[in-house]
Order: sequence, then C-alpha cells, then structure tokens
Amino acid sequence: MIRLSKVKTDPVENLKRHAEAIGEAVKQAIKPDRVTVEYPRERRKYPECFRGFIVFDKEKCISCFRCAQICPANAIQMEYFDKAYPGIDYAKCIFCHFCVDSCPTGALNTSKVHDVAFKSMDEMRLSAKQITKVPEIVREEKQTVEYYVDRNVWKLVRKKELDRLEVPPKPVKVKERRAACTEPESCLGCRLCASVCPQNAIKVEKCEISIGEEVTGTGCVLQIQTDLCTGCGLCVRQCPMQILTLEEVGE
Amino acid sequence: MMITREWQFALPEKKHKKKKYFGNLKAEVIDAGLCCHCAACASICPVNGITAGDAPIDFPNWIKECVDCGACVKVCPRWDYTPKNGLGEYIEVTAARSKRFVGQDGAMVTEFTASALEMGLIDRAIFVARDSNWRTRVVTIKTPEQLYDRKITGTKYSYADVLPALKDAVLKSEAVGFVGTPCMVTAVRKMQQAFKKFERVKLAIGLFCTENFYHHDLYNFLLEKANADLRNAVKTDIKKGKFIVELKDGSKVRIPVKDFEEIIPSGCKVCQDFAAVDSDVSIGSVGSANGFSTVMVRREVAKNILDYIREKEYAEFREPKLEVVQKLCDHKIKIHPWPPKKKEEKSEE
Repeated sequence: MIRLSKVKTDPVENLKRHAEAIGEAVKQAIKPDRVTVEYPRERRKYPECFRGFIVFDKEKCISCFRCAQICPANAIQMEYFDKAYPGIDYAKCIFCHFCVDSCPTGALNTSKVHDVAFKSMDEMRLSAKQITKVPEIVREEKQTVEYYVDRNVWKLVRKKELDRLEVPPKPVKVKERRAACTEPESCLGCRLCASVCPQNAIKVEKCEISIGEEVTGTGCVLQIQTDLCTGCGLCVRQCPMQILTLEEVGE
Repeated sequence: MMITREWQFALPEKKHKKKKYFGNLKAEVIDAGLCCHCAACASICPVNGITAGDAPIDFPNWIKECVDCGACVKVCPRWDYTPKNGLGEYIEVTAARSKRFVGQDGAMVTEFTASALEMGLIDRAIFVARDSNWRTRVVTIKTPEQLYDRKITGTKYSYADVLPALKDAVLKSEAVGFVGTPCMVTAVRKMQQAFKKFERVKLAIGLFCTENFYHHDLYNFLLEKANADLRNAVKTDIKKGKFIVELKDGSKVRIPVKDFEEIIPSGCKVCQDFAAVDSDVSIGSVGSANGFSTVMVRREVAKNILDYIREKEYAEFREPKLEVVQKLCDHKIKIHPWPPKKKEEKSEE
C-alpha cells in the first residue's frame, strides 16, 4: 500500500535553491555558454566529407558518363559543349554523392554549401558551367562558427573564423583501372569500343590474319593503349559481346 | 582468365568491294532469294539494326548505320552456300513417346529439354511459344515445370526469332539449349566457329523440317483456301502430305501440302537439310508410329540425355522406320534442287 504524505520542506533550503536558479539566469544573460549558431548570420563548420553542393572541374573531366550512369536519382544529364560534361538537376539530386565517389579522375568534388536554395524549378537545373564554382551566397557575415571543448582548461570554446566553403580535392576513391579484353576469340569486330572511346585510346589497324605462318585473310588489330586509357569503362558498357572488362592496375 | 590488351579479328572477304558487309549480305543472300530467315545476322549485329520478325530480314538504314564489321556475313548459313543433305552422322536412332509431357507427337523435344534442365546440363533453354493468333513468341525456359504449357509445346510452322533470344541468353548464362530448324542449327554452328562465346550453347535440338512459313502468309492462306481461322485452332500438323488444322469445335481441315507452294519462302526452296545434320539431336514425327517421335542422337551430349531418360523411364521406346526418314531426305533434295533450276533455265534462254 502506498501512503502519500506531505513532504516537509525547509524554507531556508528552498530560498537557497531559488537564489541559485536566478543566479544562473543572470549569468547566462551576461555571458552565455550555449552551443547554438545564429543561422543565417553565422554558419556551422562542416567536415570536409560533408555532402553538399557538387563542384565540377572541367579540366579533369574525361566525359566517361560514369556519374550519369551511377546516379540513382537520374539527376545528371550530360551536356555537349566541346566534350560531354555533366549538369545536375537539384530538383532530383538526393546528395548521395555516388557521382563524386565514382568519378575516376576526381573531376567532381563536394563542398561545404548545404543551403542550395532556388527561386524556381528551372533554376534548379544547373549546367556544367554553373557548377564549376561554389555558388555565391549573400549573407550579412561570412563567418563560420565552431564549438569545441578546450581540453586544457575543460571549457567550451566558441571559435569564429572567416568562411572557406571550398573543399580541397581529395584523392580519387576509384581504384585505377584499365580496359582489357577477356575473350578476344569472341570479338565481333564492330569497333564500337574504338569509336566510343573519349580518349582515342583504342587503336585499330589493318593487318593480315595468319594461322602459324600461313596467311588466311585480312583483319584488324585492336590495341588498347594503356597510357591513354583512363579506365572510364565506356567501351565495357558498349561492347555487344561483353568481352571487355576493367582490370585493376598498380598496387 | 586471360587478359589481353591487343587482339585480332578477321574480316571476311567481300564479294562486292564497294558495299558495306550488310550490302554484301543483302545482294548475295537476301535479294538472291537464299535467305532462310534464321535471324542469325539480326542476333549478332552489334548495332541491333537488322530486323527479323514476320517480315524478310532487313536493315532499314544500313547505308548509314551499318558499322561494317562483317559479323552478319560470318554467321550467315547461306553465305557461300553449299546445301547439306541426307541423314547425317548419328549414334543412335529410336522412336519414343514422353510419359510426362503432351506435345506435337511424342513430345520428345520437350522431354529432352526438361531432362537436360534436370541434369543441370543447361541453365536455360530457348523455346517458341505462340499467342492465340498462332503468332510465334520466344520464351526462355528455366524450369521443366514451364513446359507443361500447351502453348509452348507443339509445332507452329512459322518463323520465330529464336537466335536473337539465344544471344541474350548466351550473354547471361554459361549453358544454354535451344530448339530450332536445321538452318538455325547450322547458323549456330557457324556462330560457334566464329565467336568463342557461343560455345556456351550446350544443346542444339534440331527439328525435321521441309519448309517454314511467314505467319501472315500462313494465316491468310489458311483463311482463304480452307476458311480455317488459325485463331480458332488448337493444333496444326503435317501428316501424309496433308496440312491439318484442328479447330476448337473438334473439326479438322485438311489441305494438301502441294497447294502451299505459292507461300513457301524462296529461302526454303534451296534448302536440302531435312534432318538437321548439324544438331546434337534431331527430332521429328516422320519415321515413327502415331503419337511417337523419331529421335536421331548425333552427339555425346544428347546420348547422355537419352540414357538419363531411359534410366528414369520418362519415355517409352519403339523401333523407328529409318527408311521413311531417308525417303523424305531424298524427297527434299528432289523438290529443292541446288543450284536452283529456274535460274538455270533462264540463263539458258
């Protein structure tokens, strides 16, 4: 059986607790130690692996279509200027950054911009030219705020510094690969691999086919030049007999 | 796995030097009336430009789109054509009837495929099914249970695009089987010679064949001549020189095979291969009693399957009459002479 009885309170103790609470409130009003950020005047510091606005480096792009191929939201369309470059539709992008991870040359990179805001649907479709830079963001103060605990004195420190939204390029995650043929006896001779190669790394030359020493007819030699091949895998996807593969090179 | 960065492929010799390879094929085979509509070229074409189906083989925009690779010429059974004929080599001939399946006669094609699937010799098999219009539709069989469908078993007497489906199956699977007319079997053997990947075709079941028809020709012909609508048919058959259509109401329409002369495609008129001499096993109704199929085992693979069927007692066996098959082989040589007679007469005139 539970019996309820009135709790006896000491009026002096009660008064002391009230004074403590008021003291804390006064202290917070004078010198706050909260961990909040006054967005959008300030912004938090994001780690360099943050998946934000995608930045594109035209010089590194080899037009391999891999980003467009892998995009699960179908947000990347390749646009043709002098070569084919990716454009991103932010109405579709889910910020999975598979495109960044799969880029064999590191032409796509992340940035620390997360507030990708637009005024209309049409604006959300960005062409390759528009994603070469981190977008200009109009803000009162370009300050990034970071909170951390100073371990020497065990105190929370609020650190303010000037904004740096770009992320330095990281080493490419995709292992270096080169195209190779697994079953040359099944080659149709269509040369689609050579015609699709953006680097012109597949060389076709006429030659004579011979069995032993006897010449049996004419044909062609296909050669993948490893120094030019970037391992984009376009030929592998194109091959109608599926005899090409990407082979890892190096360590 | 062997990895190479440099390899060769052969280009076949062109008979018309200025044309692309499909132009050569068109001039030498299709326009010359030799094309047997096996669709090997359509299956191998790297740009998927060649069309088959219920119309003559064509590549609508070949002058522009053909990549000039020569693959179609390499696989065409009618390029550099010399007819094959006779009974061919065989290990064993028997007549049999499946106890499990219902088919055209003894349902031995179905039985062989089902047994091969059970034995694990093949992963999948390409079969021809039909829709309610008796149009052909290619299906991939992965389990023997699928073969109980009566629309899959039984003869259709129309062209089907078996080989394009076979190529897709070859790319997906290590061991494939298929059923086809003698020209398709010959085409597959040529494909195996030219491209190693087609060695994955482990079982080629050949059908006894005199000729094959375009579906629209057959449909219209039957409707005009005998007022037999194929849509109401349950079975088509050729017995004793008569084309028999069994209708839903139980009645049968019989038309002499000789009347079909006008709709026989020209490619079939130069073919002398009745018994599918290149196949692993040839199967047909000719040469065995009613309800039985003649089975000509030609290669070791098929012999193993036959032994398996015997062991499991899936079929009952009888003695075949090989001389009847021989007679039809000779008959086909007689009615389909090579080189074609008409052309000779014209050139003499």
